[in-house]
Amino acid sequence: MALPSYGKRPWTFYVLATLFTLFVIFLYGPMISVLILSFQGPSAALNFPLRDPSLMWFDELFNPRRVGDVPGAFRRSLPLALITMLLTVVIAVTAGFAFRHRFRGATLVFYMAIASLIIPGLVLSIGILVTARFLGLSANWYTTALGAHLSWTLPFGLLIMFAVLGRLSPSYEEASYDLGATRWQTVKDVVLPIVFPGIIAVALFGFTLSYDEFPRSWLTVGTLNTLPLEIWTMTTNVTSPALYALGTVTTIVSFIVIALALGSILLIQRRRSGSS
Amino acid sequence: MNYAPTSISPAHSVHTKGAGEIRLVNLTKSFGDMDAVKDINLTIPHGSYCCLLGPSGCGKTTILRMIAGHETPTTGEIYIGDDMVVGKTPVERGTAMMFQSYALFPHLSVLDNVAFYLKMRGVGKEERRTRAREMLERVQLSHLANRMPAQLSGGQQQRVALARSLITNPKVLLLDEPLSALDEFLRLRMRGELKNLQDELGITFVHVTHTQPEAIALADMVVVMDTGRIEQAASANEIYNRPATPYVARFMGGQNVLTGRVESISPTGMVLKSEKGEIFNAPLTGAAPKLGEPVSISMRRDRISISKPQNGKGAQQADAVTGVVDSTEYQGSFVKVSIVLDGGETFVANMPDHEFFAEPVDHGVPVVARWKPEHVHVLSKADTEGTKDPYAGSGH
Repeated sequence: MALPSYGKRPWTFYVLATLFTLFVIFLYGPMISVLILSFQGPSAALNFPLRDPSLMWFDELFNPRRVGDVPGAFRRSLPLALITMLLTVVIAVTAGFAFRHRFRGATLVFYMAIASLIIPGLVLSIGILVTARFLGLSANWYTTALGAHLSWTLPFGLLIMFAVLGRLSPSYEEASYDLGATRWQTVKDVVLPIVFPGIIAVALFGFTLSYDEFPRSWLTVGTLNTLPLEIWTMTTNVTSPALYALGTVTTIVSFIVIALALGSILLIQRRRSGSS
Repeated sequence: MNYAPTSISPAHSVHTKGAGEIRLVNLTKSFGDMDAVKDINLTIPHGSYCCLLGPSGCGKTTILRMIAGHETPTTGEIYIGDDMVVGKTPVERGTAMMFQSYALFPHLSVLDNVAFYLKMRGVGKEERRTRAREMLERVQLSHLANRMPAQLSGGQQQRVALARSLITNPKVLLLDEPLSALDEFLRLRMRGELKNLQDELGITFVHVTHTQPEAIALADMVVVMDTGRIEQAASANEIYNRPATPYVARFMGGQNVLTGRVESISPTGMVLKSEKGEIFNAPLTGAAPKLGEPVSISMRRDRISISKPQNGKGAQQADAVTGVVDSTEYQGSFVKVSIVLDGGETFVANMPDHEFFAEPVDHGVPVVARWKPEHVHVLSKADTEGTKDPYAGSGH
């Protein structure tokens, strides 16, 4: 007698599951390898196996004898990323609100902002350097590099704000106005709190895009390197596991930033769904 | 912002008589080339429950939003009480609006949502929370004060929205399809609560809806709208029993509309002859029409009796039409019999169920539908839409 059939998984399930597993290994395998090898002992090489695990390469990183100026690069990259984040939030959020009220030339402004996503970063980097020279300005991480990074983070920030504000029903603002709020009170007490998770997302993008940026930094930072440039320099002349230690440290910084951002979004959402 | 001093005074102050009268004068609103509202004149008496009724896109919500101050009229004036309010803020107008989606602020607790108005005018935290709590008690939601809006059911959200509006102590409460987001059971319950609340507060309610039974059940004054114009503004009873135009008769759903040309006029009534030669008697109301002029009449669906034709003579009788049964729908207390007339129009008879089941008819059966001349109502406009009317078949 035949048993009831509740349907079995189609063969495509197994193909796609395999594909996804391979994808995950491909994605995280290298990162995990770097993480493990950053604990290499003094006698060890750049590749597996791991021998005499130690923290010596982390020490090497923060008290450089042979590697380049990693702490200095970090002290430039972090503030650069923070300033970029702040400016991205302020400009993208205000621009997002401006775009809610259709103004003359809105479409043109939008496409011009988005176009800078398409221009190759290295070309932009060269262009900024040449322009700065022409104007007699020197290239620095806090001037030319900041501008280069903003050309990358602002379009992303604007696109996120479009998505966030597109879902914001105008009836919240009308209700606020109906209850006697002024425009400013409506922004402060209604709109900003509601879109706050979206603003955190903009900040997160602003920070990580800047913190990781290589091509747009390449010619615009001037004489002192940011962290991605420092890593690149090290790959060409440092042949010790300090490179791996650096990879581990920067990855951890990125993860902390992401965790902070997602954590605060979750906290807000939990408060709204009322576990308070 | 300049706040009207009257509404700062403690909650529940009593407005002077007539303060909540709304007068729309030659009101027009255009969006680009399209007139959403065309030259409307309407007076809604103080303390009445007024329903703006019409299909979507008829302009009823635009009127509500103009009264609320969320839409600026293209031309025309709006008076609330004695004040011309165009250009004023909602608080200055003394209006409060309840939004279709309720628009409760998702980041604030129920209590802080209700206290929002007081916060905006700088009332201290303790005082505004006390007053918001009092308001929540009035709508029996005190136990939910610390919940967030996302945790509430549709009915609870609606009551919070009501409390949030009422704390402004409005002269006029504007409700934009307030019951459309609720399920049938809650809709009926909240309908009753709204009516009671309006009785209790005595302020003017303006309620936008596209549902005929809702308007009939609630309103002192029903305003039936069609594409930016008012078709009829009158009491629910008047609208339902004596619709002004074929549109209103069809839209309200309880009527059949027939058209004929005037054959003869006597002191007591007139005789109409349809294109197919049917003879209808109609009372004479108002100015007598000219001979040969088209006149539309309506008769309630529950005043129609149905019988099988005898010897093919049905069509020769006056005050009757012939057709074929299209469908029958059992509605509990009555049976809705839809008849396709010889000309293709739909004619509906709502028959008491015992009468129907004594001699049931089914799809495809030829029938004669009769009515008594005293149940004929003459419409002020001759029907030009005929069977094209999308509401012709709708029934309630």
